[in-house]
Amino acid sequence: MIKNKLKVLRAMTDLTQEQLADQLGVTRQTIIAIENHKYLPSLELAFKMANFFQVDLEEIFNYQNES
Amino acid sequence: MNRKKYQQIRLLVMIFIISIVLVAVIGDNLFLTVIGIGTGVIFLALARCTNEMRADEREITVQEKAARMAYAIFTPSIGIASFLLLLPAKGGFSVLAKGEWLFLEALGLIFAYLSLFLIVVYTISYHFFNRQYGGGSDDKK
Repeated sequence: MIKNKLKVLRAMTDLTQEQLADQLGVTRQTIIAIENHKYLPSLELAFKMANFFQVDLEEIFNYQNES
Repeated sequence: MNRKKYQQIRLLVMIFIISIVLVAVIGDNLFLTVIGIGTGVIFLALARCTNEMRADEREITVQEKAARMAYAIFTPSIGIASFLLLLPAKGGFSVLAKGEWLFLEALGLIFAYLSLFLIVVYTISYHFFNRQYGGGSDDKK
């Protein structure tokens, strides 16, 4: 399972979901779905997020083995 | 143009089309219905093309899954329906198509061709997208 720290990073940068969605070029629903671990973003969007927050991809997303 | 604005325009166009269709149905005018729907479709296509529209990847994923499910439900349904409607009886006619229900055999034929058409469209588009996404080529370097 892939978990993410998008909510934490967004809170650290003091952005609303709407503002982040505008910056990344997606809808607010997408940000909500990613934060709630209901949707896995594409590689392109994941890199966009990493670029936006100036962090490595692994700092946002991490793979957790379910077994 | 952002998605919200596009959705507002789409709502307005839909209200326009529905009112035109209502007027056409009341006035028994098929031509007006076709013109109304055609105008609406062209207008929406132009609004989408001339302005930069934000395509949301989650929405595209949802659309893909919905389309896949619609195909998975619709194709077997009409396939089975056509089989049942064309099930032959002794007289050469369908079991169900007797007397005033004779039209059911024609309906079964339409369903059969429709299911074949769907399968053909699916196969062609599958091969097209498979090639587009790097499938089919066998390059060994």
